[in-house]
Amino acid sequence: MSVEHVLTTCPYCGTGCNFFLQVVDGRLTSVVPCKTDEISLGRLCIKGYNAHAFVQHPDRLKNPMVREKGQLVKASWDQALDRIVKALKEIRDKHGPDSIVLLASAKCTNEENYVFQKLARAVLGTNNVDHCARLCHASTVTGLLYSFGSGAMTNTIPEFDGADCILVTGSNTLEAHPIIGSRMLRAKEKGAKIIVVDPRDTPLSRISHIHLSQRSGTDVAWINGMLKVIIDEGLADEEFVKARTTAFEDLKKVVESYTPEKVESITGIPKEKLVEAARLYARSKKAMIAYAMGITQHSNGTDLVKSIANLAMATGHIGKESTGVNPLRGQCNVQGACDSGGLPNLYPGYQRVDDEAVRAKFEKAWGVRLSPTPGLTLTRAMNDAMAGKVKAMVVFGENVMVSDPDLNHVEEALKKLEFLAVTDIFLTETAKMADVVLPAACYAEKDGTFTNTDRALRMLRKAVEPPGEARADWIIACDLGRRLGSKGFEFSSPADIMAEMATVTPIFAGITHERVDGKVLRWPVPDKDHSGTRILHVQKFTRGQGQFAPIEHTPPAEVVSEEYPFILTTGRNLFQYHTGTMTRRSPKLEREAPEPYVEIRGEDAKKLGIADGDRVSVSSRRGSITLKARVTDKIIEGTIFIPFHYAEAAANRLTNAALDPASDIPEFKVCAARIERA
Amino acid sequence: MVNDLGRKLAKLAFEERGADMLLVMREEHGNVVPAMVPKGEDLGDVRLDIPYQLITILENIYPWVSKGRIAIITRRCDEKALAELVKRKYVDDKRIVRIGLACSEDQIRRCRCEDPVPSKVDLGEPHAAAKGDELISRLEKMSQQERLEFWAGQFKKCNKCFGCTLNCPVCFCDDDCVLEDRTFVAEPSVPPGLSFHMIRSYHMIDKCIECGECERSCPAEIPLLTMRKLLAKDMKELFKFRPGDEKTVSPLNTTLEGEQLEDGCDEC
Ligand code: SF4
Ligand code: SF4
Ligand code: SF4
Repeated sequence: MSVEHVLTTCPYCGTGCNFFLQVVDGRLTSVVPCKTDEISLGRLCIKGYNAHAFVQHPDRLKNPMVREKGQLVKASWDQALDRIVKALKEIRDKHGPDSIVLLASAKCTNEENYVFQKLARAVLGTNNVDHCARLCHASTVTGLLYSFGSGAMTNTIPEFDGADCILVTGSNTLEAHPIIGSRMLRAKEKGAKIIVVDPRDTPLSRISHIHLSQRSGTDVAWINGMLKVIIDEGLADEEFVKARTTAFEDLKKVVESYTPEKVESITGIPKEKLVEAARLYARSKKAMIAYAMGITQHSNGTDLVKSIANLAMATGHIGKESTGVNPLRGQCNVQGACDSGGLPNLYPGYQRVDDEAVRAKFEKAWGVRLSPTPGLTLTRAMNDAMAGKVKAMVVFGENVMVSDPDLNHVEEALKKLEFLAVTDIFLTETAKMADVVLPAACYAEKDGTFTNTDRALRMLRKAVEPPGEARADWIIACDLGRRLGSKGFEFSSPADIMAEMATVTPIFAGITHERVDGKVLRWPVPDKDHSGTRILHVQKFTRGQGQFAPIEHTPPAEVVSEEYPFILTTGRNLFQYHTGTMTRRSPKLEREAPEPYVEIRGEDAKKLGIADGDRVSVSSRRGSITLKARVTDKIIEGTIFIPFHYAEAAANRLTNAALDPASDIPEFKVCAARIERA
Repeated sequence: MVNDLGRKLAKLAFEERGADMLLVMREEHGNVVPAMVPKGEDLGDVRLDIPYQLITILENIYPWVSKGRIAIITRRCDEKALAELVKRKYVDDKRIVRIGLACSEDQIRRCRCEDPVPSKVDLGEPHAAAKGDELISRLEKMSQQERLEFWAGQFKKCNKCFGCTLNCPVCFCDDDCVLEDRTFVAEPSVPPGLSFHMIRSYHMIDKCIECGECERSCPAEIPLLTMRKLLAKDMKELFKFRPGDEKTVSPLNTTLEGEQLEDGCDEC
């Protein structure tokens, strides 16, 4: 008989809580919080406590499958892998390497994502590798790279405890990042002031000191308005601005016209409240900004992120303890998938593929010629598939058939492909469309590392064996690499992969599994003696001087009309996670939030004759879904909200695939919609 | 390598008291980790300064561990939790070997503990009880309205993680918890509303042994232990009953004359 408590990392949000998986004779019995974990402090949210529930679910994929006469049938690993290799070779020879797209995964480890991108770049010969960060924080990466030179959280989760003021916008922190939310509660208990800017009433906004409800899609306006107040009232940190930044004068010129009155007319935020919030943020000694998808998922997402950076730089709230700009990353390893090079324009460690010196370094390390052209983003790849230019996709652990915007379009695009291979732990909506399906090991069944939202490397430790013939994604990807004739995939373990990644990735240079096993390390870790970096941009910004960006408010890509009079916004709830493949198979989570719903304000509902619990149909220019109405006072008039977890009423049948030009992130947060009784 | 504490423990558990395995905490991966160590295996770097709720851990694995005697570190509250478990036949007393740990002064202070010394002290030095709960004195000075506001404000932070029930050593109803029943806790969103906390409070009233694990687990840092202490006080004053004794029967399962109810549910 054996009883084990295996310390590992939560597979849900980017907080990266560690906990123990309790295993008795190979059976997962429960999750036990880790009291000494610096991130979670021995607390978890309901998702963490139920993270064992889906692992040994009977629906897990146990065998490879290939499509024969239209049906997916059981196959051996050799058959399935050979089928993939043959198809990829044919398509590459006929249509060139750029007709193939590989999707890496924010649910896979750093080591796996490193192997995925190496497979695309060094073996298939294309930079067409991307993942779902495109859908959540692509604009953070582009925006903060521009302003600061580094696209990640500038400070750390424990620092929230010590802040005097926390400005939270576009983040439903208590539900989407509960354990970060709990740090904010702690700060509040110690006297910190909480400002929430959100069109929805969230559990955090209800206990905040100031809650500003802006109309969706008007964020540049309130930020510029705050900046104007700060500048006019002499609350800017002149010294910091002068010593550390450039282009402040340009910013000044742009924000000049954003009077509180004008901002009120654009955003609906009462001018007194805007002024109060601006003063509070600027005057606090230690003020942190936290934001998430409410900022990033807009067709001007990159501009919004730059605006947030403007606010922090103007007040000097950056580069010090308990300050900074803190994007809260959604998935367990979305930070790491970006860090490890799962992006079409960047090698591991945010090194540009079109930088010759960098490319030469990778060519030498991998012993092959590499493509100098940045690849296709996930959202562009779908368009190109639709246009017949992309012929094959190899997908690792992504469920694009629920997660992507404008699903009807995605479905058509996938159908047009000549070849689709999907590796996943369940037969997802996407896997059902594949020519080859490979069964993967989940987080509890493999070793490796995740990078959480505060840049800390978190260990995954194998607790149980994968079901049936399922294998870890890194083993599958290495096998594919070898079968495609490459020599660079002879890795014996994830630690071995990390060792190679460290040699080509300066921010990871000092990282080894051995070091990460006993200690929290946050990148950049430039060498083996370095103990990691808590706070970024302390002496100078990664790019040198901080760069202000003058930005004007522009209306969202789609505005309401007579036919579509509501603004539809999408997001998460506490109990479900993303496309629901894991949470919906966890009985306690499913019980808390079993069915899709749309939130609508009482006044609006009344006008339309909709009562709480009614079946309603919600339509946009792209599609229509039917679901239950939840009448609530938590949302402002004219706006409706749908959580995006439910395939049976997928919010993304409605959302707009309008893209932010700089980052290709789609506008999930605003589209025009109509709601009526079904 | 085993440390001195580990050596002492191994001798106590395996040699002197005939256990087949020991549930303990030790240092691994830069953290303190609960571990079930079979007899004969190296105990490693044993640590007793982090208050893991070992009784809850024992309960989770007990149904799967069908054979052998299990030694477990028992603080005073753990002894009481075990009594509640044994009384309800959730664990077989004959399979449990207790190793008494007297809590440190610091731990006693953090738990505001009034009963900190186990019946048999094998490890640690016994220390005096704490002098009450500072928050209770503050609450007692408040008006009823202020007190209501205080608790309503606290519960507003609740994030429905169920940590307070999952980690509680005497919360047994696993698969049919009333808190998951829509009749009682209807609110589909967070925070879950007062009924959630009230139901839990009363459901635990004749079982809670004031270990404080709910409070330590609460991400909202609601002073749940203080609430438990206030309820325990009522229970003592009204029914002269304190949970944590194998021989007593909950007054909630008895008639006013003290006889046990006919078909008393042994869970509530
Ligand atoms: S806060 Fe995030 S990482 Fe922590 S337990 Fe919850 S889902 Fe997991
Ligand atoms: S103090 Fe809390 S965790 Fe401990 S027994 Fe009482 S209710 Fe349960
Ligand atoms: S532990 Fe705290 S936050 Fe979690 S359910 Fe209990 S009271 Fe609510």
